[in-house]
Amino acid sequence: MTPPVSDPVGLEVRWDRLAAATDEAASTMLRTAFSTIIRESNDYTVVLMDRQGRTMAESRAGIPGFAALMSSLTALVLDRFPARDWQDGDCVITNDPWIATGHLPDIAMITPVFHRGVLVGYAGTAAHSPDIGGTPSMGATDLISEGMLIPPLRLFRAGRVEQGIKELLLANVRLPGELWGDLEAQTAAHAVCRRRAREFLDDFGEPDFERFAAEVHAVADAAMRAAVAELPDGVYRAGVDADGVEGHPTHIACAVTVSGERIAIDYTGSSAQVPFSTNSTLNYTRAYSMYPLKILLDPATRTNWGSYQAIHVSAPEGTIVNPRFPAPVVARHLTGHLLSCAIYQALAPVLPDRVIADSGGAPALRVRFAGIDDEGRPFAQMLFANAGMGASREKDGLSTTAFPTNSGSGSIEALEVTSPLRFVRKELRAGSGGRGRRRGGLGQDVEVHNPTSRAVQMVLLGDRERHPALGLDGGQPGATAQAVLESGQRVPLKSISQLAPGASVLISFPGGGGFGPPQDREPQLVLADELGGYVAPSNTERHP
Amino acid sequence: MSRTVRIGVDVGGTFTDLLLHDPVRGLTWPGKLPTTPHAPHEAITAGIARLLEETATPAQDVAGVVHGTTLVTNTLLERTGAVVGLLTTHGFRDILEMAREIRFDTTDLHARPAAPLVPRRLCRGVRGRIGADGTELEPLDEADVLAQAGDLLEHGVEAVAVAMLHAYRNDRHERRVRRLLARAHPGLPVTLSSAVAPVLGEYERASTACLNAYVQPLVARYLDALRDDLLAMGIDAPLRVMLSGGGVTTLDEAKEFPFRLLESGPAAGAIAAAAVARRLGEPDVISFDMGGTTAKIAMVSGGEPRRTHDFEAGRVDKFKPGSGLPIRLTVVDMIEIGSGGGSIAAPDSLGLLKVGPRSAGSVPGPVAYGRGGEQPTVTDADLVLGHLDPATFLGGEMRLRTTEAGKALDRGVAEPLGLDRIGAAAGIVEVATAGMAAAARMHLSEHGSDPSDFTLVAFGGAGPVHAYGLAKQLKIARIVVPMRAGVMSAYGFLVAPATVDQARSLPSALTGIDWDRVAAVYDEMTAHATAVLGADGTEELRVRRSADMRYVGQGFEIEVELPGSGLGQVDAGRLQRAFGEAYRATFGRCLDGPAEVVNWRLSARLPGHGVTLGCEPATGDPRRGVRDVWIPGHGRLEATVWDRYRLRPGTEIAGPAVFEERESSCCFGPECRIRVDPELTLLVDVEGAGS
Repeated sequence: MTPPVSDPVGLEVRWDRLAAATDEAASTMLRTAFSTIIRESNDYTVVLMDRQGRTMAESRAGIPGFAALMSSLTALVLDRFPARDWQDGDCVITNDPWIATGHLPDIAMITPVFHRGVLVGYAGTAAHSPDIGGTPSMGATDLISEGMLIPPLRLFRAGRVEQGIKELLLANVRLPGELWGDLEAQTAAHAVCRRRAREFLDDFGEPDFERFAAEVHAVADAAMRAAVAELPDGVYRAGVDADGVEGHPTHIACAVTVSGERIAIDYTGSSAQVPFSTNSTLNYTRAYSMYPLKILLDPATRTNWGSYQAIHVSAPEGTIVNPRFPAPVVARHLTGHLLSCAIYQALAPVLPDRVIADSGGAPALRVRFAGIDDEGRPFAQMLFANAGMGASREKDGLSTTAFPTNSGSGSIEALEVTSPLRFVRKELRAGSGGRGRRRGGLGQDVEVHNPTSRAVQMVLLGDRERHPALGLDGGQPGATAQAVLESGQRVPLKSISQLAPGASVLISFPGGGGFGPPQDREPQLVLADELGGYVAPSNTERHP
Repeated sequence: MSRTVRIGVDVGGTFTDLLLHDPVRGLTWPGKLPTTPHAPHEAITAGIARLLEETATPAQDVAGVVHGTTLVTNTLLERTGAVVGLLTTHGFRDILEMAREIRFDTTDLHARPAAPLVPRRLCRGVRGRIGADGTELEPLDEADVLAQAGDLLEHGVEAVAVAMLHAYRNDRHERRVRRLLARAHPGLPVTLSSAVAPVLGEYERASTACLNAYVQPLVARYLDALRDDLLAMGIDAPLRVMLSGGGVTTLDEAKEFPFRLLESGPAAGAIAAAAVARRLGEPDVISFDMGGTTAKIAMVSGGEPRRTHDFEAGRVDKFKPGSGLPIRLTVVDMIEIGSGGGSIAAPDSLGLLKVGPRSAGSVPGPVAYGRGGEQPTVTDADLVLGHLDPATFLGGEMRLRTTEAGKALDRGVAEPLGLDRIGAAAGIVEVATAGMAAAARMHLSEHGSDPSDFTLVAFGGAGPVHAYGLAKQLKIARIVVPMRAGVMSAYGFLVAPATVDQARSLPSALTGIDWDRVAAVYDEMTAHATAVLGADGTEELRVRRSADMRYVGQGFEIEVELPGSGLGQVDAGRLQRAFGEAYRATFGRCLDGPAEVVNWRLSARLPGHGVTLGCEPATGDPRRGVRDVWIPGHGRLEATVWDRYRLRPGTEIAGPAVFEERESSCCFGPECRIRVDPELTLLVDVEGAGS
């Protein structure tokens, strides 16, 4: 049990109020953003921080792990831009993967909150921009070829844009209008945060956030420590293997050490960093370790800086989970998403009721098509589609649902309106869920046809071609991923290729791992699986 | 003989509320009966019979009955609808089950989405394909359609939904399926996605079509039975049905598109608040409807409730967006949170006081009801704070138990949190009010508005009780509390205009719009609206045209009213400017860059009816006495208690004061001036609210 709070009514009212402010700001950002990536894959976060840059409120929508990075990011920004130099209306921007959220397309922005002339805190956002320059290629061997690196810079000074910086940014990206539109969306979110923060102080008659922040940090920290304390002390280990890149399979070695109220995750023994973009900076490694742990141990408490204090994440420098500058990192999710599998496998023996088996979407498979339609208009489309989630002890895994990200799936009609591509099929992939007492979620089959008279570029970026999502406690692995042309030719899942005129490709998203021995599955569930066609591939023959 | 009497009937989960209005006699007469869940028409006919008798109204004098029902909502919640089969485009049979592929709650590893209304084995793809531009890429395989449909019927399917790709652009295949099924299986109800929601987005369109098919047989049977019952009573006036968007429609339209009846009761509340606002000359109000389990907040601007065209039905978690089934439907835009009189208060594991969303509902209800409730609720807190009179609650029908309520507060909240009883009660009210204030701020900010610029109109059993506290938190300077807080939805039915809302998707950049095509779409929508409304020229048909617009590349649209009266006058430049203004009003800035239109909308309506809520004040001293009341922001004060039925129009009273009517009470602090208007509405000015 956590220690008593001094004012159970006042703190609840204040906390709820500030949390609502970041949610409102996130909604504003989403509604004004241009990048499909922000809105379809929820690749963003919004936070409000105290004077030390410690988060007090974090938006519930978006990528929860990213919020965990905003405090350390702001601390580094404050090293370069000391608090005494900030003016109302300033804004600092950076996409440094070692400071922000792990690759160049993610742009973080920090704005001070002034109240009655005094600096009382900061608003922060991070969001995925549609393009950051560089050379799109599978073979980038260093960071600089992946795009423009923006060290922490002032983009706004006292409300005025630093014109030279803006021009430099926009001159180096392919979609300057969209990039600026998205930065405007982040700025709009900051404006909401600042306004609501000032109203908060006015309404509650507080000079600043210090008292409130200290209390919510203490409460969140205590809640996490109490949750950790319930676990038996010990070192819990797991290893996860993934395809990685040619000649460099990825291995994640994970040791979770529980000691009283503290939990430490260490990745010593993981693969060395690679000359390929799958490196995950320690920041990203932290984010994708914190998030699965938080929802496993203490899902109910609203998160803030305090939530992360009992958790320590470490990895030796030079590994794929803590690469040295200037390692390429743009596909860092192919490594970072695996961490949730490793952590849950490690903790399965002590939290068998709460963990889930490996998810097919850890890591996510992304597909991008680009080309020129028969009227000569260029197009570029991301296909957002998802694999199956892992099963838990009591429930089948969710089919076609992303984890640990939360990228949804857009409308096929909308995709066909904005590109000449034709979608032949987008259906559950029968039999792809790992068998078990509880079945893994199903992946999906997406068949795409190129009806134009020109070749269409197809970029595939995924994993799990050779390494399926594993089951737990006797559950079976899910089906692996693959992409196959009509000719039967396989397309590697980390490749840039051409889809010829008239050709079709079938992309099969992987299934999630099962939980428990398959023979323990209740007969009525086995029957329901068969009747629904979730397991029997013969079903597709019956309804061709 | 004059046929002037109109009756509104609102069937809620607990009570069936009725309101009879006769403008000739200046009569507004309420009625209330327990709902008869398994045969709702029983309470309706009994209620109408009682109203007619009490007001000495012959049945043949009834000119109209307007009905609102929770049947659609309940059928969905209880999953008691028809067995539906879905016919869709080959290759997309899992459109319902795959849904949007999101986790609605990223903090809950084990959260499950709402189950689809049609199980996978009853979802079938049929060959035939329409392209994005509406051209036929592959002809419909009619043999396939008939084979699949035959098989579905063998599997017990009672209604069929048809949702094909790009049917919003070209509905030929869908219509062909309907004809084939009509011939092969006469009497089988068929819903086309292109008929219920001809807009882009295959999943949402299919989901809407399936919901319609799912509830249609039940709703049709119910409405027919109700019409027969009314006929048997001698009422041959038209039966109209309340819609989610705040209008009313005909029996035939309601039977064809029953999904449009979702949440029509709450919509009527907002319509009623808007009518009150218009009468008072207050164009911008917040409609605040707080009942037993939830509070609903809607924004009324320019005398009309804001509306939206997306809805989510049958949520797994009522207060979590994304946990339900998306429905393309015009609804009154409202935010609903789990704060009602019956909401349960308890400390959470961190030692913070939480109120709701768990509710004691009406059964067992708050502890004070003495019906077995043991956990303290908002109503129990209200009672302990002196806001409710235990002796006169519900006109004295139910004596409230103050002692038991107080003990429950001690046990459930005060002792665990180290508070005294009054502190616990005041804390419950503060937390509940803060939650509603946050919801109001969020809701209004989506339209770029700030609550302090609005007037608060409070109703529902618990709305008036918390109006003052909510107004203080939102810095609102004016509160309006109409008479008869409990029957506002039924009142909304009587004032709601006959309405038809339609939309068509024709996505296009503003610079490339095919205006001839747009004009043709509007001609088609106008013709349909005119036919449904039976507009014969005797009543003015009011038409509003709007477009869902965004900057090219954005993913969310805002609705922009088309400038000018006819489409011929609309040019791209004016529309771009109108969009820029609307965007600035919403987001505080506008951007450079081209805009695009996604949907074209038309809303057509006949004039509504004027209805008065007031009644002749009773004689006698309106002063009931004085009592101690704990008032938010002031603490314990001695307040005068007033009987609203005896207050005469024009009376002016200074706070602190309590006002009681049968269904609710309200209380205002010392900085308030309260005036009674001719309809006995309380108009409250709060001094110093804006500062």
